[in-house]
Amino acid sequence: MSNATLPAGARDPGYPTERENYLTNSSGILSWMFTLDHKRIGLMYLIGVMSAFAVGGLLALAIRLHLLDPNGWMFSGAEANNIYNQVFTLHGAIMVFLFIIPSIPAALGNFLVPVMLGAKDVGFPRLNLSSFYLWVFGALFFVTALFSSGLDTGWTFYTPYSTTTDTSVILATLGAFILGFSSIFTGLNFIVTINTMRPPGMTWFKMPLFLWATYATSIIQVLATPVLGITLLLLIAERTMHIGIFDPEFNGDPVTYQHFFWFYSHPAVYIMILPAFGIISELISVHSHKHIFGYRFIAYSSIAIALLGFLVWGHHMFTAGMSSLTTIVFSALTFTVSVPSAIKVFNWLATMYKGSISLTTPMCYAISFIFLFTIGGLTGLFLGTLATDLHLHDTYFVVAHFHYVMVGGTLIAFLGGVFHWWPKMVGKLYNETHGRIAALLVFLGFNGTFLPQFVLGSRGMPRRYATYDPEFAFLHQLSTFGALLLGVGLLYAFVVLMVSLVKGRRAPANPWGGVTLEWQCTSPPPYYNFERPPVVGDPYDFHNLEWDAENERYVTTEPERKLVPESTPEEVPVHAGGQK
Amino acid sequence: MTFPTLLADTNADFWFPIQGSSFAEEVDWVYDLILYISLAFFVPMMAFMVWCLFKYIKARGTKAESQISHHTTLELTWSIGPSVLLVWMFVQGSISFLDMRTPPEGSYDIGVQAFKWGWTMDYGNGTFHPELHIVKDEPTKLSMRSTDVIHSLFVPAFRAKKDIVPGRYNYMWFKPTVASEKISDEALAKLKKQNEGTTWDYDKVHTIQTEDGERELQVTPEGYTFFDLYCTEYCGKNHSEMQTVVVVHETQAELEAWIKANSSRGPIPMEEWGELLYARRGCSGCHSVDGSKLVGPSFLDLYGSQHALTTGENQLVDENYVRESIIAPKAKVVAGYQPVMPSYKGQLSDDDIDSIIAYLKSISSNAPTQPAGAEAESEEESAE
Amino acid sequence: MATIDSVTTSTDAHADDSHGHDHDHPSWLAHHFDTPEQQFDSGKLGIWLFLVTEILFFSGMFCAYAIFRMLRPEVFEGCSQFLNTKLGAINTGVLLFSSLTMAWAVRCSQTEEHKKLVALIATTLSCAMVFLGVKSIEYSHKWGMGLLPPGSYFYSAANEHPTAQQLVEIHGFSESMAYFLTNSLYFICAPFALVAVAVLVWLIVAKVSGNAFQYACAKPLLVVALSFFGGVGLGMILESGGEHHEGEHVAAAGDHSDAEHGEHSGDDHGDSGHSHSIASDHSEASADEDGATMVESPLGDDYAAVKLLAENETNTGLKDLVAAERTQQSIATGKVLTDPAASDVGISTVESEVNTPRQAGVFFGIYYCMTGVHAIHILAGIGVLVWLLIRAVRQDFNRQYFGPVDYVGLYWHLVDLIWIYLFPLLYLIR
Repeated sequence: MSNATLPAGARDPGYPTERENYLTNSSGILSWMFTLDHKRIGLMYLIGVMSAFAVGGLLALAIRLHLLDPNGWMFSGAEANNIYNQVFTLHGAIMVFLFIIPSIPAALGNFLVPVMLGAKDVGFPRLNLSSFYLWVFGALFFVTALFSSGLDTGWTFYTPYSTTTDTSVILATLGAFILGFSSIFTGLNFIVTINTMRPPGMTWFKMPLFLWATYATSIIQVLATPVLGITLLLLIAERTMHIGIFDPEFNGDPVTYQHFFWFYSHPAVYIMILPAFGIISELISVHSHKHIFGYRFIAYSSIAIALLGFLVWGHHMFTAGMSSLTTIVFSALTFTVSVPSAIKVFNWLATMYKGSISLTTPMCYAISFIFLFTIGGLTGLFLGTLATDLHLHDTYFVVAHFHYVMVGGTLIAFLGGVFHWWPKMVGKLYNETHGRIAALLVFLGFNGTFLPQFVLGSRGMPRRYATYDPEFAFLHQLSTFGALLLGVGLLYAFVVLMVSLVKGRRAPANPWGGVTLEWQCTSPPPYYNFERPPVVGDPYDFHNLEWDAENERYVTTEPERKLVPESTPEEVPVHAGGQK
Repeated sequence: MTFPTLLADTNADFWFPIQGSSFAEEVDWVYDLILYISLAFFVPMMAFMVWCLFKYIKARGTKAESQISHHTTLELTWSIGPSVLLVWMFVQGSISFLDMRTPPEGSYDIGVQAFKWGWTMDYGNGTFHPELHIVKDEPTKLSMRSTDVIHSLFVPAFRAKKDIVPGRYNYMWFKPTVASEKISDEALAKLKKQNEGTTWDYDKVHTIQTEDGERELQVTPEGYTFFDLYCTEYCGKNHSEMQTVVVVHETQAELEAWIKANSSRGPIPMEEWGELLYARRGCSGCHSVDGSKLVGPSFLDLYGSQHALTTGENQLVDENYVRESIIAPKAKVVAGYQPVMPSYKGQLSDDDIDSIIAYLKSISSNAPTQPAGAEAESEEESAE
Repeated sequence: MATIDSVTTSTDAHADDSHGHDHDHPSWLAHHFDTPEQQFDSGKLGIWLFLVTEILFFSGMFCAYAIFRMLRPEVFEGCSQFLNTKLGAINTGVLLFSSLTMAWAVRCSQTEEHKKLVALIATTLSCAMVFLGVKSIEYSHKWGMGLLPPGSYFYSAANEHPTAQQLVEIHGFSESMAYFLTNSLYFICAPFALVAVAVLVWLIVAKVSGNAFQYACAKPLLVVALSFFGGVGLGMILESGGEHHEGEHVAAAGDHSDAEHGEHSGDDHGDSGHSHSIASDHSEASADEDGATMVESPLGDDYAAVKLLAENETNTGLKDLVAAERTQQSIATGKVLTDPAASDVGISTVESEVNTPRQAGVFFGIYYCMTGVHAIHILAGIGVLVWLLIRAVRQDFNRQYFGPVDYVGLYWHLVDLIWIYLFPLLYLIR
């Protein structure tokens, strides 16, 4: 193809002018702080969640370094255990509330949802901006908690520990409460946007799978997060006024707290992983240049996971002393969630079969996602099965399992998504070779960190231990060295992206060969996204894409579809400020 | 890969510690079942993925060989097919779980008290000990309660775990199938000599001469090999130190003899018994004997000293104050500490408390050496 | 791509992000929507989703209510008698009426009857204020009596209205706290009084400066602000009537003559001992208790019920519990255990002060959480209604654009609906 001339009718949107480019169309710090443009908000979220991730990641390294030695290596003195407890609590709380939950939906979702819909913005742009500021506000609460008396309850705030400890539980729970509202408003916004602002031709089953995943995620955000809100509010009331609901000293019941908490926090796991499924569906299809296999099964399974996810919270409490019947019912329901997850993995593999795979950086992340998430999912079976869960519950096996899902799943997909849409977001191409090396380092480092932890767990090492029995030392050390490698890999990936900002080549509109709408506007998109709602067809139909080797870009050969009856074209689109 | 093993002579495999209870075999079997099923899926899937990568990586711009969008029969097959295996796992897991939930009639019953950060096992008749001692092949039921926050009792070798929630009783049971060994008295005496003056380190691996030759063993201060018992529900600062051991006796008679030996002070001096209680009853978790500040005040030089209370008053640490602090710890709290100590009311006999006082005196330079009658004067002196 | 040279005059740093309105867009149609219908549908879907989150938010507390009612039914029965049904009923009526005026207001905004719209929104607001006024009487009355969450519960039938002095001396409150508890009504009314004065000043200033728009806003708002005190007055009248009613209960409870009231009294002042009616009916149980020389029951009054249930052979769990409790008690009193089978319990932790007030406090903990969060929603509703009122005065709404009135109306109906559930659950079910 390399020397072939482009067929007649090949189209490419070209490059945006400085006034159109959403990054440059207005300047000054205020134009960012008060922007209602979803793309700018998405970018601000991206910076925010990456900073949170950096803090959480450093805390994680501190945890691993401390566990280098059975008696604790990193922290010393009488308060060593205390410091360790605070570090792992903040690592968990920051990663869950400040990074993973908002990472894909709020950062990438904000950028992509309206563009993929061919809309000009989300349904409620002001609400969107306030979501972001709620996030900042919640993050400030966490930072204040960190610098006042810390937090040592574990991210789950289990009572009665959280009602009796003298660390900043109230600050942190208020922070989580506020972050909850940020998450609710984002979800609400996306549901409304997807429901009412789809472009002509985009029926529900013509939506890109990322939108399906986002939609399913938003449903969970809207339905589950309020329960977290009231739980945290009651916890604060319990701590300040002793209302006697959760604290056994005042006739409350700690297990009730666990039920309340996990009713949110289990669905929250799917808030974290569902958008990752969406990204991987896009990545696999685009970089295999092949129609996604089993579109409907993937779309339905997202919704199925979202709904089933509400019924399985009890599996966090198999050892807490629920009745046998309840326990068995929750175990059975837990197994049902594994089916839709498995469907997705099979479909992704089938999509790669007979495709035309480009091993780009995003594709590297996509295949490591499949590898890691499959391990994470399969090890979930050990924990859903009652007999083995009694042994593995609250051991390192659990730690390894959820890191395989949360890090091996969500973080890897997030990185894949960032690398995939980076050219679209900033208009620059990064160095592919270095991007791939970073992906490889992340993959190796991650497995080095968490594979040993499965063995640690099944051999009986309890989690949240600041010190441990010497017989576990070897595996712990292995894990720590893995974590260091993982840290290096992530830093490398970050550097690759930053260097691209300075030295990167200008990105074409469609560098990978995607068919969804975001590839049909310029890189970076103009602030209004599309002049008028585009007409769309199948988002995975790759027939009309051609590789333009000369300019290293994909161009579409499909004739532009027009609305019928076509409105009179205006010289300058009115929403861009033109006169009628 | 060589792994440092739990016990030198363990038959622990790669995944698991030794199978110490009747559950272990069942749990390990279910675990292996899931493991092999998972591998049976994982390996072919990943092989397929890697094969695809080798086979279908093409130059950019190459069109895909096929644009097939779906294949309903195939998809239904891989959706429904594996579900059968899931049902199998679920059923196996639940059957074993029900076994583990229901203690058989006439189980040997031991009370367990969990607190920050230690354990007290109640053997009845006023006998308490931090170690769990049970009998081989005898179903044992634990009735567990907590005075402060949620704890969880976990014996990896038994594959058994249960949360201990304050405000309610939780029960668990197991039947140990492997007995602990007792090292010879000479070997124990040698070890005691080596470790004189330090607190006993359960985790330390000793090289011990046994009938089967030299072996690497971890033993209790009484010379038993043991299984680890952990707290697995995060419970605060020293959560990771909330560990004790399970010793499995060969016969009921052996256990009863052990209980008898630990039920009261016996012929040893009070200071020594006090020191044992200090180690066994969880005092050491919060009170150091080297002057360092832990959760509670250090016991070194405590007796006879003056302390400011949270109320602002000054309190002389005398016999009455020590006794009160053990029975009602929250009544007078030393300034700078939290009122977190649980009450030991009803758990320590008068003789036990006297022994602890005697021990405190023995490690305090402020303690009066005069007989009891002269104490009042010396108190006044130290008050100045 | 289109060039946008024609907008070079637009230099505002951030206006062009969002406010580049099309000229065929009416001012009320946001730039990113194509049609008014799309905008209205989006708003409607958004507010419905928001209401779903609100329902789930409250559902947590309804669950807590259900769980604790199931665990301790007698506590709930006894304590709900402290709530004044008349005040609850009046508030229910007030809210129902406000829902009517709100629904009517939505209709008026569609038919562009601007004057009527303002009047109806102001009526809705006044009802909300009356509701809060009555609520503040209920709250302050209970705070003075010590009907509080378990952490600070101090009610005793012998001295229903302790003075601040007594609160400090007997119950260990700080002086400022005691002062607050005995004078809470003033503290609650103070901010509302301030608001009323502020609105009055605004009204006068607007009148003097001749600002007709501000005057038109301030006039209904003054009525609204004053309605709060109407509610307080209404509450006072009804509460003084209710006092007598409640006094009856307490008096009856005091001499343990009535089984129902006996239970009630037990919840609230367990230190006066168990209800004799129960004790005499089940002399066996109480004999056990006396044998263990218990001054107070560790589990409070429902312990008697537990014992009663434990007499049934099938309730093995409860039998175990009672046996365990007995063991625990005897260990606590220093008795040597003779029955090794009973030794499975071990250590006493039941402190003597874990007694019945804490039980009763759970009800009030839930009561304050549910009604308090509901009151916060009323306050939020007042906030948005005031915003709506001002926009209505400005005549912002027309037959094509009445979304905000509609959305606020839906929210207001939900707040009303939640009260419709709270009232029977807390006040009526006995």
